[in-house]
Amino acid sequence: MFKLFDDWHTQLTGWIFEAFLQPVLYATDLMNIADEMLEWVDFTLFSIFGIIVTYIVCRPLEAWRPVEPVTDRRAIRTDIIYTLLARLGIFPLLAFILLAAIQSRLEGMLADTGFVSPTLESIFPFLHQVPLLTFFIYVVILDFGEYWRHRLQHSIGWWWALHSIHHAQRQMTFWTDDRNHILDEVIAALWFGTIALLIGVSPAQFPLLLLLMRLVEAFSHGNIRLSFGRIGERLLVSPRFHRVHHGVLSVAEHGRNYAVLFPVWDWMFLTADFSRQDYPRTGDPEAPESLATGGWLVQQWVGFKRMMGAGKPSL
Amino acid sequence: MLPCLRHASLGAGVLALALAAAAPAHADLIYVLNSTDPSIVKIDTRTGEEVQRIDSLREVHHLVLSPDRKELLIADSSGNEILFVEPATGTVLRRERISNPYHLDFTPDGRLLVVASLRRGQVDIYDANGPRLLDRFRAGNKPSHIAFSPDSRFAYITIQGDGTVMAIDLQERRILWQANVGPEPAGILWHRGRLIIGIMGRDYFAVMNPETRQVESTIRVGRGAHTVFASPDGKTLWATSRVQSRIAEIEPDTLQVRRIHEVPGGPDCIAFAPDGAVWATLRWAGRIARLDPASGEVSTIRVGRSPHGIFVQPRAIQ
Repeated sequence: MFKLFDDWHTQLTGWIFEAFLQPVLYATDLMNIADEMLEWVDFTLFSIFGIIVTYIVCRPLEAWRPVEPVTDRRAIRTDIIYTLLARLGIFPLLAFILLAAIQSRLEGMLADTGFVSPTLESIFPFLHQVPLLTFFIYVVILDFGEYWRHRLQHSIGWWWALHSIHHAQRQMTFWTDDRNHILDEVIAALWFGTIALLIGVSPAQFPLLLLLMRLVEAFSHGNIRLSFGRIGERLLVSPRFHRVHHGVLSVAEHGRNYAVLFPVWDWMFLTADFSRQDYPRTGDPEAPESLATGGWLVQQWVGFKRMMGAGKPSL
Repeated sequence: MLPCLRHASLGAGVLALALAAAAPAHADLIYVLNSTDPSIVKIDTRTGEEVQRIDSLREVHHLVLSPDRKELLIADSSGNEILFVEPATGTVLRRERISNPYHLDFTPDGRLLVVASLRRGQVDIYDANGPRLLDRFRAGNKPSHIAFSPDSRFAYITIQGDGTVMAIDLQERRILWQANVGPEPAGILWHRGRLIIGIMGRDYFAVMNPETRQVESTIRVGRGAHTVFASPDGKTLWATSRVQSRIAEIEPDTLQVRRIHEVPGGPDCIAFAPDGAVWATLRWAGRIARLDPASGEVSTIRVGRSPHGIFVQPRAIQ
């Protein structure tokens, strides 16, 4: 089944590339970025699949057990725009070209020093034989990185100014996951990509890894009255666990429940709130109204202005 | 609607039937590098089935047989390593840490291993017995494929991003010259005192005289001219074009195109089987193609995503 899907995905990617992109690259003397463009098509198709899976999983649950009624459909539509731009649009395209170039430069500089970056498998050769375990270790390490990025987003003034766009949403749904300022997305991509590069995440596992993390992240943002129970709440981030993080009392440095996948980090670093019955009202009371109800462009502009005017770090 | 998909699935079926019916006395092994899977798959040509898959790599593109034919060197560029594989069994003998190896080849005398690093803009010279790094050259934007003069004195490298060919004197260890050749040059082959270079941004191969550094003629094969290989018997040059999806037969004496085969899916690297079949990776279709030069028939086998390097290991008669 997976093989069939993989084959279908490969063929569709190849067909789109050959029929539409390659002729343009050829005509504009850009054939030397053909590999990167093929990867972008691959990524975009995978993202579409990811959005469909997320919708199929989350939408029925939101309809079945909503935390609150939907009163602001416009705010949801804005979040949908965020998702489409973040996962399908120009940003991933630029990331594939620019980040690949930056990565090459950095690696070239490193290579000149004689340093060859290791991978998890080169440090622990037995991992070559157990790709599933390797995959799990990648997920754990990347999730740990995400926990700390998230904590810094809340504790550094200018970074919170950007991240507050994400928290300003009062009508949370699974679409809210991608509601981020562009600069915040760029920093997140660099952060995630650097860690992935350092530990040598396999390209084969990268799409699956992204799909898994984004599915859990979108699910945890869902308007779903769902807790995983006493033990489950400590194993995997639930909609309840993450809703506490989006609660009006959890903004900026007052944040709780920072974890993206595994709550163990909050547990370990004393930032967890496991009060299971709590489904607080969400939003950032200190943010201007435009961050909550403005359109995509307005939110980006206001977020940028707030970042420029932000005070010193308040760790 | 999806022509390559329809062609490929039909082709795979036809090939499986043909292979089962023909059941040759010997079956070769084909190694294919799936660059974005990333994996190395080993295919049994008798059944068309995958018999082995080596995972946990990063980005495998090219491979080369060691001069003593005992090891297959597989370059994993993002993984920063070269895998040494026993070609008869597929056993991974060792892995060596090498900086971003993309294309690689041994000098004809077997003493040096030259490695081009596409993304890091460098060309490395290794002692073939190590491999131990002897020298590194900054080589501009995207050094791609390598060829040698028959006396092993000079290495010629296409510099894809700069549209040039670079010559390195391997004896004196210095860059001799760099000459313009055309947009996005890729594959390169030394052929009877000339360099034949695939101009990916155009529809031809350039024939360059390395003495004068002038392009003396061109060979039109189709848009996206990519790589060229000499058949083992020396009677044909086989050239691929990735945009127009063609494999061209070229007469080695006159450099005239003898025949064009339409092979959908972006044909890239080529390997030759003892039975005369030409095997090519189809980068955009996730398949390899078997081209029968006698009949011109093309059939395909599913291998993985973005297959690039390919190697045929002949098997003993069973």
